[in-house]
Amino acid sequence: MLPARRTDPAHDIALQSVLDRLTGGVPDRPDSPDAWVTAIRRLPARAAEYAPFPDALDSRLRDVLIGRGVEQLYTHQAAAIEHVIARRNVVITTPTASGKTLCYNAPVLNAILRDPSTRALYLFPTKALAQDQLAELHALSGQLSTQDELEIGVFTYDGDTPQDARRAIRGRAHVVLSNPDMIHSGILPHHPRWAKLFENLRYVVIDELHAYRGVFGSHLTNVLRRLRRVCQHYGSDPTFICSSATIANPRELAEALVERPFELVSESGAPRGEKFFLFVNPPVVNKELGIRRSYLAETRRVAAEFLKRRLQIIVFAQSRLSTEILTTYLKDDFDGPPGTVDQVRGYRGGYLPQRRREIEKGLREGTVRAVVSTSALELGIDIGALDVCVMAGYPGTIASTWQRAGRAGRRSSRSAAVLVASSAPLDQFVVRNPAYFFDAPPEHALINPDNLHILVDHVKCAAFELPFTTSEQYGKQNVQEVLGVLAESGFVHNADGEEGTWQWTNESYPADAVSLRSISSDNFVVVDTTRGADVIGETSFTSGPATLHEKAIYLIEGALYQVDRLDFEGRKAYVTQIDCDYYTDAITYTKVTVLDTFANHDRRSHGEVHVSSRVVGFKKIKFYTNENIGSGELDLPEQQMHTTAYWLTVSKTVMTALPYASDDRRDGVVGLSFAMRQVAQLLLMCDRQDIGISIGSGEQGEETDLTRMGQPVTLSDEPRIFIYDNYPGGIGFSEPLFRMHADLLGRTRELIAGCECAHGCPTCVGPVGNTGPLAKLVALRILDLIVGEAVAA
Amino acid sequence: MSTLAERLRDVMRPGEPHPPSPPASARQAGLAPHANDAAETLGGEWCEVAGHRFLVVDRTYAPGHRHGRVSVADSLPPSDGAWETLGLLAAGPVPAGRLLFVDLETTGLAGGAGTCAFLVGCGWFDGGTFRIRQFFLSSYAGERALLEAVAVIAGEAGAVVTYNGKTFDLPLVETRFLFNRMTTPFAGMPHIDMLHPARRLWRSDDEDPDRAQGSCRLTMLEETQLGHTREGDVPGCEIPGRYFHYVRTGDARPLDAVLEHNRLDILALAMITARAAQMLDEGAAAAKTAREAIGLGRLYERAGRTADAREAYGRAASMTPAEPLTRAEALRSFALLARRDRQYEDAAAAWCRLLEVRRCPSHMAREATEALAVHHEHRLRDLATARRFALESLQFDASRARTAAVHHRLARLDRKLGGPPQESAVLF
Repeated sequence: MLPARRTDPAHDIALQSVLDRLTGGVPDRPDSPDAWVTAIRRLPARAAEYAPFPDALDSRLRDVLIGRGVEQLYTHQAAAIEHVIARRNVVITTPTASGKTLCYNAPVLNAILRDPSTRALYLFPTKALAQDQLAELHALSGQLSTQDELEIGVFTYDGDTPQDARRAIRGRAHVVLSNPDMIHSGILPHHPRWAKLFENLRYVVIDELHAYRGVFGSHLTNVLRRLRRVCQHYGSDPTFICSSATIANPRELAEALVERPFELVSESGAPRGEKFFLFVNPPVVNKELGIRRSYLAETRRVAAEFLKRRLQIIVFAQSRLSTEILTTYLKDDFDGPPGTVDQVRGYRGGYLPQRRREIEKGLREGTVRAVVSTSALELGIDIGALDVCVMAGYPGTIASTWQRAGRAGRRSSRSAAVLVASSAPLDQFVVRNPAYFFDAPPEHALINPDNLHILVDHVKCAAFELPFTTSEQYGKQNVQEVLGVLAESGFVHNADGEEGTWQWTNESYPADAVSLRSISSDNFVVVDTTRGADVIGETSFTSGPATLHEKAIYLIEGALYQVDRLDFEGRKAYVTQIDCDYYTDAITYTKVTVLDTFANHDRRSHGEVHVSSRVVGFKKIKFYTNENIGSGELDLPEQQMHTTAYWLTVSKTVMTALPYASDDRRDGVVGLSFAMRQVAQLLLMCDRQDIGISIGSGEQGEETDLTRMGQPVTLSDEPRIFIYDNYPGGIGFSEPLFRMHADLLGRTRELIAGCECAHGCPTCVGPVGNTGPLAKLVALRILDLIVGEAVAA
Repeated sequence: MSTLAERLRDVMRPGEPHPPSPPASARQAGLAPHANDAAETLGGEWCEVAGHRFLVVDRTYAPGHRHGRVSVADSLPPSDGAWETLGLLAAGPVPAGRLLFVDLETTGLAGGAGTCAFLVGCGWFDGGTFRIRQFFLSSYAGERALLEAVAVIAGEAGAVVTYNGKTFDLPLVETRFLFNRMTTPFAGMPHIDMLHPARRLWRSDDEDPDRAQGSCRLTMLEETQLGHTREGDVPGCEIPGRYFHYVRTGDARPLDAVLEHNRLDILALAMITARAAQMLDEGAAAAKTAREAIGLGRLYERAGRTADAREAYGRAASMTPAEPLTRAEALRSFALLARRDRQYEDAAAAWCRLLEVRRCPSHMAREATEALAVHHEHRLRDLATARRFALESLQFDASRARTAAVHHRLARLDRKLGGPPQESAVLF
């Protein structure tokens, strides 16, 4: 609700001239995947749509808002506030800087004014966001408090809250700003001390809802189930207010996370200036190997064009290291002599809070002309609206790309967003298929709260908090059976038979053993022995063997370490820093066995599988050229898990119809699976390590090896490509993949066919060294035959 | 496809063979043999409120009952009520009324909603005897009724006495009241947590790790102060397990020792409290060791009774045999207190005696010489002696700022003395 900035013609002209330079003066043209700028889209300006304050809004609150320059509400704010006042759960998805926070702050403060016993709980995915919201809420509640006798208490409560302040907060806070981890381990297990909050809890606000997908989201659902059990114990039934970035299924996600019906408010009434969106693909410098010019150098060039014309920009980089590199580049280009004000600043996690606040303020006031940031500035931190956003690399999801692009955008004047693609497969797919980004619905966020591993952990926590009754339900599984199995291990005891309760009969504090950000808290730590013994990183248990085997090269922020010893039992890897020009890639045997087929249709299936994998060796790959320069053998314990998978069966008809030698046919299947993995990651809005891939024979899942070279791996007559959830128990990716089968194959074909490389590259079917020279060709052929077969059927 | 229960077992205990799950009826049947004899096993009586019951175990200890060297009669408060110095232990006034000694046995140390107090033990002096009443939670359903009974007995008390109750027992029992949505009777009630005064009076200076500084377990005090050594006592870590065994099987026998452990803790707590209060009532003369005398001094000093405190420090300094460190500490405390009370001569005398202590810790010696330099410069105006002490203080290690301050003082003294710095002094 900032006062609209004045329109500045000089600013618009400056922006226009950069755009002309970058696009050759063609403002809006069809997509051209082969060009340097592959897409230009113009998003027209939109006028504000206002609505009157809802009648139910307290006049004191209205006066304060008017005093702060909010004369009327935008339509989406009014709609959201009305839903909340009518006690309907609501999820709001409108763009960055559209006044989303007022949608929940207004009804919450309104309720506190009407009834000072009212309590509200705000959940943010990070502590920094909670701190940022605290400042805004303080300003508003402070003005209300001075007007009135009523003192509205607003506090953050997280791991940083001092012990001696906690009691006061429990007593005095009307609004508690926290995060799911703290609710899980610090508040729910101590609910008797929070009785006042739970007795009067009217609102739960969940900001940045889209951040809760996959494992984190599945945990959050369980935390909310526990929260509602506790609320019920104290006789309250809160209304949920959620806000989300643009994803395909916001209402579905809210309903899956909270397990309550939701209203959706998605039409923004906030004004928006005209905006241009450009995709830039650095030119190919080595066609054989598919190598492009460095995207960081390209980002520097693009950013410089805007900076030269005094436009204020934000540059998003993908890692801390590239953030620092780009900051250095731009400082070299633009910072004045030493002693003058820094116009270019870096921003990332790890900077001290005071420094961050200083940069944020500089951005709002315009003294900082450019900031280079990691995703740290993607979420709601207030930095005002800038002129231009340049993204060095695709952020990974459509939702987060729009979030970042939203950091640029004045209400009344022009703005621009530029995406500079790296050579990663996802980046290349997106810049060469702009329509996928601009026109297709955004990704689905998926969760599986009834994953047994997650569920069991939270049933323990819930039993600790309040005894289960023998008729109680929890989640979609039969919780009584879960409790029965917990009783076998002594965690709970059914006290009084049929009509009794399950008592917690264990000394432990179960929440301490459960991390919301992973499935199992088991992990490997990386110990640097170069100087002493410093822990420099950690890796999940499942990915430990493949990344921390002996002689592996471990990368962290651009520094290279070699693993000297892996203590598998002690879960430690000892590394020393080295200087070398290669990295390592583990060779993993993976065997997938189908345990149960849930659905099967047209040679696509999904179901429960057993995955056993073993790291048997590794390759040394040279940086930049990706040449294979050596290998080694390893002997590591086998890892096993039950999970869920989607699989595609390539029929005997298709295989025999391929006019190629058996090695080439194998390469085609391997290349196809490589490309499918990239697309699956895109469709599922997940990280690379969230899914695994394997090729098995028709009968019972022969072992396969996607990365081993040279040795012929014969395929069966009907090979199957498995894409499995890389988490014990599965996290809900398989069934959606089964549903999105046609999309998966269609986009895989686009990815392979659209790639400019000659015989395959890491962007499509994998590097040439891995698969044979015909992999690309055969993979496309297989896809065509499968589609043909489906059409014929 | 495997059943849910089988998959769950796989999740919880991967790799283990699946035990056949016993039918529900068999699990219940396990209760039968012992279900009703907890009262008999533990020697208590059932108390039933609104269909929920808990067990009450009462014991009375006669005046002649001895716990080590000390008898109940030795520990009785004065006949006209409580010890007058109790307020010194509670760090605040303690109203007249019954002192309730409380100790819990719990299902864990973690705290939070899932940690229960399955045994609430309460003790109090009654006439010439000491009585203990234990409330035992035989099933979770009886918790509210049990807490109501605890609230009644707490309501009759004027103050509550615990050992480490500030951080453990009282917050935990408070959580149980809150869990049951009842008001806690202990809120606002004067509370004496004997851990803190006991540390002042009896903390061991030994190198022995079990008695390392700060460690001041009740059983250790029981041995050193009361002369009682427990035999066959239940280790604390076994206690929750014994209760869970009872919950699952109804077999209360292993709990008998737990209840006895709790009673001994309460009895020892009462006697330790009595000993501390008696010493405070009697004054410094009651202290048997220099360490005790210093502890008394600290307690008096904290309560603002400086005359008593000085007497106690003075006694500590003159008691033999005393360790050099203890003696030095006593003299230092005495000097600081005297200086605060503007008794400068007394303070100076104590600082001087401190410097005579063999193997006096250097930081104390430095403090003493500095204080004496100040005293001689500003109060006695004996500049030469002041200069000598200032120089002497330089031989001890000190922070840069302190050393600089001494040099500053020396320079000023030299100016006042009117001569250039003497060679020998610089060399020294």
